[in-house]
Amino acid sequence: MKIRASLIAFLFCALATPSVLAQADAEFAKATQEYAQGHFKEAISGYEALIRSGQWSANVFYDLGNAYFRTGDLGRAILNYERALALERHHPEATANLQIARDEARALEIQPSWPERYLQFTSVNQYSIAAATAFWLAIFAVVTLIFSRRRSVTVIAMLICCLLVFAVAVCAIYTLDRGSKGRAVAIVTGENVQARLATADTANAVLALPPGSEIKILSTRGDWIYAALPNNLRGWIPAKNAEQVRL
Amino acid sequence: MGRAFLTGILAAIVAAGSTFADSPSVTAVLSNSETVVGETVELQIKVTGPGDAQPPEEISVDGLEIHATGQSRQFEIHNFATSSSVTYNYTILPLRAGRFTIPSQTVRAGGKLLRTPELILNVADAPGRSSSARPSRGTQSQSVSAGDLLFAELIVPKKVAYVGEIVPVQIRMGFDPRVRPRLIEPPEITGQGFTAQKLQQSGQSSETINGRPYDVVTYKTAIAAARAGKFEIGPVKAKAQVIVPRRRSAPRSRSPFGFDLDDPFSDPFFSNPFAQMGERREVEIKSEPVALEIKPLPPNAPPSFSGAIGNFVMTTDAQPKSVQVGDPITLTSAISGRGNFDRVNAPVVEDERGWHKYPPSSKFKQDDEVGISGTKTFETVLSPNEKKQSVPVLALSYFDPAKEQYVTLRSEPIAITVQGGAAATQNVTASQSASPSPAIAVAPQRTQKPQDILYQLTDRPATAESFAPLYTRTVFWTAQLIPLLALIGFAGWKIRQTRIDNREARRIAALQHETSELMHKLRRNAASPREYYAEASRVVRLKTALASGSSRIDPNVVDAETAADTFKLNTDSRDQLRRLFEQSDEWQYSGAHNGPATISPENRREVLELIENLK
Repeated sequence: MKIRASLIAFLFCALATPSVLAQADAEFAKATQEYAQGHFKEAISGYEALIRSGQWSANVFYDLGNAYFRTGDLGRAILNYERALALERHHPEATANLQIARDEARALEIQPSWPERYLQFTSVNQYSIAAATAFWLAIFAVVTLIFSRRRSVTVIAMLICCLLVFAVAVCAIYTLDRGSKGRAVAIVTGENVQARLATADTANAVLALPPGSEIKILSTRGDWIYAALPNNLRGWIPAKNAEQVRL
Repeated sequence: MGRAFLTGILAAIVAAGSTFADSPSVTAVLSNSETVVGETVELQIKVTGPGDAQPPEEISVDGLEIHATGQSRQFEIHNFATSSSVTYNYTILPLRAGRFTIPSQTVRAGGKLLRTPELILNVADAPGRSSSARPSRGTQSQSVSAGDLLFAELIVPKKVAYVGEIVPVQIRMGFDPRVRPRLIEPPEITGQGFTAQKLQQSGQSSETINGRPYDVVTYKTAIAAARAGKFEIGPVKAKAQVIVPRRRSAPRSRSPFGFDLDDPFSDPFFSNPFAQMGERREVEIKSEPVALEIKPLPPNAPPSFSGAIGNFVMTTDAQPKSVQVGDPITLTSAISGRGNFDRVNAPVVEDERGWHKYPPSSKFKQDDEVGISGTKTFETVLSPNEKKQSVPVLALSYFDPAKEQYVTLRSEPIAITVQGGAAATQNVTASQSASPSPAIAVAPQRTQKPQDILYQLTDRPATAESFAPLYTRTVFWTAQLIPLLALIGFAGWKIRQTRIDNREARRIAALQHETSELMHKLRRNAASPREYYAEASRVVRLKTALASGSSRIDPNVVDAETAADTFKLNTDSRDQLRRLFEQSDEWQYSGAHNGPATISPENRREVLELIENLK
């Protein structure tokens, strides 16, 4: 009975997946066509529907960013370019358009710390693979050392190297994940946003944040978020005025 | 050893902190910028940075008597950054009334020549204290509820001030030390129409007034009037508990006891408190109020006036000095001096054209207890929209109550290099400055055409991507099963290998042991021929098995040919070996031998040599 149910489910998935993909392709093509015709709001609706259905890809976010740019919503344009780059670090078109949008919006950026600058040459995913590989090689080296009668210098050297690589990779993952491009990074999407000293509209302003400015969410309290701001400042901003890059 | 190491690390950290500490700086403040003839004022010159400062030995100002009174040193460690400062104290005694300028003094610190700001001291001719409640000042002096045992006085150095101007105020409370006072309510300045800052206790001293000793506690604060008019400041009120002699049922007479009834100090209680019990009583201490006239500020304040009143100087700096168009430049402006710093706002940018300005941040470092004197530093971020040669001029306006006029400070232009973008052409600037139309002058012209974004991408990958980092995904951890299984297999194989190796080692050890035992027997020369040849052939078999190594030959199946091949013997040795095996077999299986019943020593030696040469 169970086998039959599993088979049915598998067959259903196998049959349904191509149709879902075909539908997503059609939606994407339609949104792209709307954009080409200058119907940017319709294009935005199309791309966002695609994103809501979980069909995330760097190109979809990039195209959505372009559509927002055309409507003058530079904050959301920058947000979507950032999302495209979060999915694909080396997306040349997103990088170029992000720079243009930032210049246009005069958006502020959080400066990465010096370890982050050095560690940014590869991604968190690649560091994860390096850490896992180094970890297992180190375990294999330890097992070899335990069962061999003589302590091989080569194996010991390999063990030390693997442990070093593992440690560096773990540190890099930690630094990048909590850094200026980490998971807590958000983009200011509202206009005339002021970071304030307290969770009140009347509190003293810390920094004016043009749309598209980067912030790093530190904590959330009700409708306010406490964030690290550019220029090493910190302040509260209304939660509705910023969106996290990583969904 | 460990302690020395820790001390070394600490010293290194402190040294590193010192290395990164700020460069030396100097400030100078007066404890009061208003005083009267004969009333001393304190001058403090504070040098922050290296400790090898050389303060001015003599400060001479005509009409003022200035003496150095000592120095104090402060040392701070904050976040591993160390800073030290030395404060040099001077006492100024005004000899005549007038407005005195204490000139800028040169202090050598850290190999640099630093200069203090100029200070202004206004000396009034009138008897300075507006109100006095000191016992020495006769009838007007005090309203003290416990007679001459305690007093309070409110000292306001100015009689005329402006709305919003900070007026320093001093409160002195004196107690006869014998009443052992305990303050239960701190002094409070009563009155309306002004705001007072928090009282700060600034010192305690012993003074003799009219021949009586007093412990005098001094408090400092500052007041600012909220509106114009004539005000009464004070009185200052406080409550304290003091010990006084018990009241007697009968009035004291003068003669029998020999002390004065009108003078509480003449009571024997004070000369010997244990001889007669005193009682603790709560008393209210009250000073006389002080009249203060507040004048309104003059009209036509400059546009950059934000309510600052006092005497200030401004220094500015810009970092970095070489940027690209659009990059931020931090403009730091430090406002130092004396006045109402809470109303000192960031200096305004006079010409914002071609600049994008962000809201400034500020911090205040006070040089005295009440925050009248200090330095307020503003950081304003500007980003150039076009090429520029210098940062814009900053302006700060304040009202100088001494000069009775508004003063506007302007920063010096700081040269910078802005690269990239289009240069702001001279023509545009000229036309803007020459144009009578305010619209042209105000609206900044865009010199750059906005760049257009790149094309739309029309391809989409078949599989959806994820923002989740790889290490948070199930597939990553599932994939770790592969090396885990490989590890289990590898460890199993290694364990099996070790066991096999151990078995082989035991076998070899047994063979070696048996060989050794048999060799001992053969050398003892006590065995019968049958035993001797059997043991000799057995040794040959064992040696062959040991020599076979990885091929693991069973010693029981070794024959003469196998042994000879294993040891690669020559023909003679091979024949000898064959004969040994034959004789062994004969003795073993036939039960008798064709030869003699004993073995000759030559035969034994030959056999032993043959066996020992098997290597």
